[in-house]
Amino acid sequence: MAEFKGKVAIVGFGEVPTGKFPNRPCLASALESCRQAILDSGIQKDEIDTIMPTGTFYDRRYNTDMVFSKLVEELGLLGKVKTNMQVFAGGSSSSAMLKTATGLITAGLAKTILCVQSDKTGSAPVQEMIDLFATFGIPEEWETPYGFFMGGCGSMSATRYMHETGTTHEQIASVVVSMRKWAALNPNAMLRRELTVEEVLSSKLVATNQTTREGNVLADGGAAFIVTTAERAKDLRNPPVYPLGFGGRVCHYGVSQDKDLTRLGFPEAAKEAYAMAGITAKDIDIAEIYDGYPIYPLITLEGLGICERGEAGHFVLERNTWPGGKMPMTTNGGMLAQGHTAAGGGVAVLVEAIRQLMGKAGERQVKGAKIAVETSMGGTFMDSHVVVLGRELP
Amino acid sequence: MMDYKKPLPKMSPWSAPFWDGCRRHELLIQKCQDCEAFNFYPKMYCANCLSSNLDWVKTSGLGKVYTHMTVYAYQPTEFTDDVPYVVAIVELDEGVRMMTNVVGCPPDEVQCEMRVKVVFEKATDEITLAKFKPAG
Repeated sequence: MAEFKGKVAIVGFGEVPTGKFPNRPCLASALESCRQAILDSGIQKDEIDTIMPTGTFYDRRYNTDMVFSKLVEELGLLGKVKTNMQVFAGGSSSSAMLKTATGLITAGLAKTILCVQSDKTGSAPVQEMIDLFATFGIPEEWETPYGFFMGGCGSMSATRYMHETGTTHEQIASVVVSMRKWAALNPNAMLRRELTVEEVLSSKLVATNQTTREGNVLADGGAAFIVTTAERAKDLRNPPVYPLGFGGRVCHYGVSQDKDLTRLGFPEAAKEAYAMAGITAKDIDIAEIYDGYPIYPLITLEGLGICERGEAGHFVLERNTWPGGKMPMTTNGGMLAQGHTAAGGGVAVLVEAIRQLMGKAGERQVKGAKIAVETSMGGTFMDSHVVVLGRELP
Repeated sequence: MMDYKKPLPKMSPWSAPFWDGCRRHELLIQKCQDCEAFNFYPKMYCANCLSSNLDWVKTSGLGKVYTHMTVYAYQPTEFTDDVPYVVAIVELDEGVRMMTNVVGCPPDEVQCEMRVKVVFEKATDEITLAKFKPAG
């Protein structure tokens, strides 16, 4: 079933700093990321036969340009690229792009794929972005009339999770502390000041069990990565990163329809991805976990089998996910600290997994890391994805 | 006429009987006549077997809070005057879940698993919303 194993490799990446850059056009972030990825991989740009831009929220016209092959023209690949197509699943676009690229390369339908994301939700008009993220993914007939909005997803999950597991708000808040610890070491991150649990909890209460500092911050950013055949990767300069397993579950469209907001689809997605990769949770060196709100990394740590049910909060509060800890988690700082660039929040987490496995993470490098899991979630945390990546061929 | 400023449900053609029910103070859900599955929110086809043979049944209007949040800030603009307000996911005794508001008690009294009963709030002549209050 896992025919792709040993046939596909990630060979390069690029990323621009995340933050508020009103004068940096979205296209500039995309081009800079693509250029860096190409140079980083050492691949000739003419070898790229497929460009896969994911979706952009801030500007419909720019998004359409991405769909309509603007990057092919900008990168001087007219007549060379065979397919330009968007692969878009909101926050889980990272996993979706890699899954699609892996399948196309394994099937021989593409050889070298450039995956790219850029967005500008940080310097787009604030009210517009608030309204956009307040309404997107919320059923207009069944949830909007009651004043529910996307920013409430984390609160709803946290409250039920605390009820079922006895986890405290202090433990949930400690996820933000862990994210800031890593972001302090990440020059591309937006919020690099370290915080204490007390500082997280004493910020303004937005909703039940959710303070301001437990919310993600919208930002501008961009990132890219290149996927090619394992054969081609042999002659390139970076240590190749191999996709080893994929698992996913879509568990709701409307938050009210999820059967278990304290687990989501992670137990099933992890089981599937581990079986494909031939690993267990004990083999994981780094957990590059998608955050959004601090409750989700706790749910994910448990779904991944890294922590027992109800123990993730204690695990994080006890500093196990910090630099130097037992299980380095979301080592770029995630959306809570690097910044939330719409679909790019997840792409940044995937790029960080690639960076770590290539041994290029600078001050935050996890020494000797061989196996990383990358997770992602899209929309109102509608889906749960687990990708296993490795430095070594199976 | 009362001026209702908050967002009204954007109705789908197959959900009209639900809203008609709310106006009569009856909480209706769909029941598939082929596989007997309950469906909420209303579906065009049964989400269990894709049958179009869906009928409407009256629920007890009783259920329990699965989870809840009190909104203190960053609320959608139209809800500014309501802050703090309680949004909750209620599981009806029939097994389906719905997003709603819990009213009729101070927000900090709302708990997971709390028993609740439907209460109807008229928004406009056309729309009455199904909300919940503590039961008994």
